[in-house]
Amino acid sequence: MFLKRAVLALQTLLAATLLAGAAIAGPVVNSGHIESELVAQESGIAPGGTIYVALRQKIIPGWHTYWRNPGDAGEATRIAWTLPQGWTAGDMVWPTPQKAKLGPLLDYAYEGEVLIPVPISAPADAQVGTTISLTADVAYLVCEQVCVPEDAKLTLLLPVVAGAAGADPKWGPVIADVLAKAPKPAGLKAVFKLDGQSLKLAVTGGPLKGADMAGAYFFPYSPKVIEHAAEQVIDRGPEGLTLTLKPGYDFVGGGTPPAELQGVIATKGGAWEVTATAGEPPATAAGLGAPPAQTAPATGTSGGLVGALVFAFLGGLILNLMPCVFPVLSMKAASLAGHAHDAGKTRLQGLVFLLGVVATFLVLAGLLLAVRAGGAAVGWGFQLQSPLVIAGLALLMLLVALNMSGVCEIGTSVQNVGSGASAQGGATGAFFTGALAVVVAAPCTAPFMAGALGYALTQPAVISLAVFLALALGFAAPFVAVAFIPGLLKLLPRPGAWMDVLKKGLAFPMYGAALWLVWVFAQQSGPLSLAHLLAAGVLAAFGAWLYGLGQARRASGKPALVSILVALVSMGLAIAIATFGALHAAPPAATASAEAPTGPGLAAEVWSPEKVAELQAAGRPVLVDFTAAWCVTCQVNEKVALSGSKVADAFKAQNAVYLKADWTNRDPVIAKALAEFNRVGVPLYVIYPKNGGQPVILPQLLTEGLVIEAIEKAGA
Amino acid sequence: MSITRRLVAAGLPLAALVPAAAHARPAPAFTAVDADGKTRSLSEFRGKTVVLEWVNEGCPYVKKHYSGNMQGLQQAARNDGVVWLTIASSAPGKQGYFDAPAAKTWMEAKGAQPTALLLDGDNKVATLYKAKTTPHMFVIDKTGAVVYEGAIDTIPTSKVEDLPKAKNLVAAALADVKAGRKVATPFETPYGCSVKYKDA
Repeated sequence: MFLKRAVLALQTLLAATLLAGAAIAGPVVNSGHIESELVAQESGIAPGGTIYVALRQKIIPGWHTYWRNPGDAGEATRIAWTLPQGWTAGDMVWPTPQKAKLGPLLDYAYEGEVLIPVPISAPADAQVGTTISLTADVAYLVCEQVCVPEDAKLTLLLPVVAGAAGADPKWGPVIADVLAKAPKPAGLKAVFKLDGQSLKLAVTGGPLKGADMAGAYFFPYSPKVIEHAAEQVIDRGPEGLTLTLKPGYDFVGGGTPPAELQGVIATKGGAWEVTATAGEPPATAAGLGAPPAQTAPATGTSGGLVGALVFAFLGGLILNLMPCVFPVLSMKAASLAGHAHDAGKTRLQGLVFLLGVVATFLVLAGLLLAVRAGGAAVGWGFQLQSPLVIAGLALLMLLVALNMSGVCEIGTSVQNVGSGASAQGGATGAFFTGALAVVVAAPCTAPFMAGALGYALTQPAVISLAVFLALALGFAAPFVAVAFIPGLLKLLPRPGAWMDVLKKGLAFPMYGAALWLVWVFAQQSGPLSLAHLLAAGVLAAFGAWLYGLGQARRASGKPALVSILVALVSMGLAIAIATFGALHAAPPAATASAEAPTGPGLAAEVWSPEKVAELQAAGRPVLVDFTAAWCVTCQVNEKVALSGSKVADAFKAQNAVYLKADWTNRDPVIAKALAEFNRVGVPLYVIYPKNGGQPVILPQLLTEGLVIEAIEKAGA
Repeated sequence: MSITRRLVAAGLPLAALVPAAAHARPAPAFTAVDADGKTRSLSEFRGKTVVLEWVNEGCPYVKKHYSGNMQGLQQAARNDGVVWLTIASSAPGKQGYFDAPAAKTWMEAKGAQPTALLLDGDNKVATLYKAKTTPHMFVIDKTGAVVYEGAIDTIPTSKVEDLPKAKNLVAAALADVKAGRKVATPFETPYGCSVKYKDA
């Protein structure tokens, strides 16, 4: 019975709808470059109700129409309604436009198909059962290279129905989708601040928190508030973002600065309407740097997580061969050779070494993530940006080298291998060898690794750590493989007296590493602090020698307490002096590095984003060298590929400029620039072509020929 | 060295404020060849009021104003001793590109009466002035300062029937300059077709 009634009611409703008819669009008007029509979201309208009617335009390929603020040129599409008495049309709902670049100009435009919905309201006394006619006189400018103003007179017949009419079967869902995607207020907090010749717009809250900010853009409603064509520089923050805009006439041209800055903030995840008021931008809207580049031109991370893991593993493998790892590699070889005769102990060493590598990588990665979460713009290798760490490492390297030279024997000597205690000591040693290897290797992001690390640092912590884990496994793999595969192990010669010779020989790369660190320290901290560190080095060496002496005396049964005590005191003093030196660092003026090059080589100028923009505007090709004193790969590249007279000649011929961004000490501007190229470490070589095209990233290992070829291409 | 640098750095923001306060940005100097093959430069008109007008004969907005409005404005201005330079910045191959004969033919056909029509196919002058649209107007006073920049009038359409309803901002600026007054409206967003730059 109930079912019968329900069916009956449904039939009645259906009949009523059919009788009343659906909204009937007038003919589609083709004005030359655009086909236009009016379409309704619902098939009818109730008295006193409001529905959306959209202007639908199909624009021929290659041509475009304009947003409410057309940008530098053009004209917004306009609709003039002719409606029956009592009917009203509301404001046009503008979908997010696209940016159309025309040389130095930028327009805000629509391409392809665009629907612009408009709310239409019926008066309360509209007669149910009648059909009314809506007329829209639409005027628009449609441009490709040339512009053509066109217009169209459009009509729509709309039935007045009792109650809700239901969605138009064809256009209902389409218009609903357009309305859902159209920018609207989302409770975002927006603040703007004029700072000289830049205008900061900080937007925080709601959907912006944690959103993908790549390509974020502010479309202003007023054409007078910003320079449309200027780049909008994005800085992410924990709660939102800050855009650095170039202020327009109202702010810096003599106009009246507006009380409110209104427009649309568009991101990949959606677009929202914002109304910014003047004020101080909140700290939570900035500090995390630029979003990673949308397309990494070089070593791609397009493979996502799996790709990043594979690249990280490969990167770790290759890291074994990088120049900065060589001293540590030599230590590993010495340590492994010491146990080559005993498979069980070798395996233990291998495992513990792996543990040391993994633990250190994860600790460093965790530290890095924690610091970044705190808002600081740091990258991989950050630990070497502290003079204190460098000083500590230099002393450590020196002590390890002295130990290998036989000045002092900490723990047991090679001759005593075999006792239980020494196996223990060997294991601890392997752990710290692993740890030390990572600490020293970290700054030299090998090729492959750069992309993977860039990817890692933009991902949630778990994924970041997974990538670092893959890196650690790759790094430790060769050593572990040698330790575990008997075939490989057998290739190593049997232990004997030669091992002592090998060990003493391998001490020299370690002295080299210590010297290198001292040199880095000198770059960071200046001559006075360098003197401190050198004094500390001598004291530490003296302490080590005394300690060795004491151990030898004790081994032969003589009292050794005094010499060991003095040794420890001088070590402590060394650490204190080095610490003092590092804390009172007075780095040489930044300009010094720019004036340093002499002879036929290439003269570098100091990098800044403004400088790059300026040189590009002047039509000159630019090579930017992101480098650091602590990055050996960087130093090798500069010596091998960038300092020759042939390269200098090529630069002169192309009127090219060589800019150096020195990241030896922490620098948020450089960190941000690296992030824009999806990198978190140096080296990075970027060439900006003279015609202002996309920058090109060079490989991390340079040759002269490669640089010359690239700069000639950029100047062509 | 470092102190000089610091002083310069400290002074920069101040320097940026000066034109903002007075809105009297100096008109960039330029040299270009006109439709008669003569080299003209802005400096030769020092001491006179100069109007710059960006043109693209194919642009509907330019056509709207060359229905008589622009010619009338040119004549009235020149009667007052104002120098009127029409500048064609469309790059070769783009809409509105003029070589000398084409420019002369067009001027003849339209009855255009600028002091000179400058051929800027390499975009040099347009780049200096950041010309965005056709038309895009500048009024430069006797001291060489830009006192008006932007739209020609207040109704940004391509429809001739809007002309009588619009307020002509160039005529208003010229009247202010002639009377020795501060220009009441020194800027209005320019409207029209984009200038057809060579890399666009």
